[in-house]
Amino acid sequence: MRSLILLLLPFLALFFQTTLFRAIPIHGIVPDLLLILVIFYAVFSGSTKGAVYGAACGLWEDLYLGRMIGISAISKGITAYIMGKMEGPVFKDNILVGIIGVVSGTIINSLIIIIISFIGIKGFGLDKNMLAELIYQGIYNTIIATPIYIWYFRSSGAGLLKEEGLLR
Amino acid sequence: MFKLFEKKGFWALLFTALILILVIKLGSSNSQSLSGASQLVRETYAPLQKGVDLVQQGLIHIGTKLLGVQSLEERLQAEADKNQQLSLENMQLRQYKAEVERLRALLDYQNAQSAQYTLEATRVIARGANNWYNTLTIDKGTDFGLAVNMPVITPEGLVGKIINVSSNSAQVLLITDRELAVGAILQQTRENRGIVEGVGNGQLKMINIPYYSPVQEGEPVVTSGLSQVYPPGIQIGTVITIQKEANGLVQSAYVQPAVNFNRLEEVLVIKAFRAVTQPAEKGV
Repeated sequence: MRSLILLLLPFLALFFQTTLFRAIPIHGIVPDLLLILVIFYAVFSGSTKGAVYGAACGLWEDLYLGRMIGISAISKGITAYIMGKMEGPVFKDNILVGIIGVVSGTIINSLIIIIISFIGIKGFGLDKNMLAELIYQGIYNTIIATPIYIWYFRSSGAGLLKEEGLLR
Repeated sequence: MFKLFEKKGFWALLFTALILILVIKLGSSNSQSLSGASQLVRETYAPLQKGVDLVQQGLIHIGTKLLGVQSLEERLQAEADKNQQLSLENMQLRQYKAEVERLRALLDYQNAQSAQYTLEATRVIARGANNWYNTLTIDKGTDFGLAVNMPVITPEGLVGKIINVSSNSAQVLLITDRELAVGAILQQTRENRGIVEGVGNGQLKMINIPYYSPVQEGEPVVTSGLSQVYPPGIQIGTVITIQKEANGLVQSAYVQPAVNFNRLEEVLVIKAFRAVTQPAEKGV
């Protein structure tokens, strides 16, 4: 059941990102539901599993977008690997873990995309709009991530996302 | 040595490395190797996105009707509420009127341009999946003769061009995207060496304008037609500010797009066009 849900969630995340949330943007920015999902998975499951799941989700997004295939896979994979380091030392019942995880994950993910774009796209340059977009993205992601974190925490403890044999 | 294969971290790194190789080998936007998988993913979403679009339209209609029922109940208590009902009906009619006007404008434009362009009217069913790319998805694809690089417009002006196409949907890269550049001409000054590119935040920047060019604020910017992709004379936007570049040889101008990208519902795809000076030039 857990595996099925984990397969279904990225599919739904991308679907809602491209439809419902596009109707309610903040300064033209929509939340990155896929990234939020990847961060939470990494925080609860650790770096290794997080990196694989993040890369797979990123690749799914890349295939949907059809351009620069691999860029989201790498950025989400690395972001998940870094965020997965939070798995052991933090108390996940604290909502701040989710908020800090999403804010820092959004920044890390954006930085990786910018670095790859610098290397891969000819003429790519930084501009002040990117910083504004990053701030709005961080704010929007945090707003959306808060209820999702509560659901994820409860589900991983005694719900759809509970791991067999583990008391999480 | 074999213990290495038992470590989960090793497989995670190997997976990431494989994706890195994919990026290097296949990652360009023109790659054909992954286009099949990419099309399959988009085809999975297209019917769902069309469904959401229909549901959204339906909800708007139901919402206005429900409000109408509520006002009828109130009308039993007070004659004055009649005005409210009328205003709700008026609201619904205004919505229909706006839709009719939009579609009529598209039709008029299509008829007016039929001698010059072969147009296909399409509906916007989804927006970009992330904030790095400014794209939208339309509800027609190769089944309707659409192909990559076809320009997309509205009666107001240029929207972008098709970058990916499957049988039932196509992805349009908007001119506000940082990766898209369009050859442009300043309509009054006739300066045609400019290039318009996206700068994020929904704005455009026209670069490469010679320092001596007397460009003015409020001047319309249209496509130059120097590329094979866009026909000439399509409205891109209006100059809002001008700035001299540091080297002193060129200046650039910020351009307000003619199209409101947040309110796009229907767009037209130019399947083929005839250039004014050259007979029967193919648009793709």
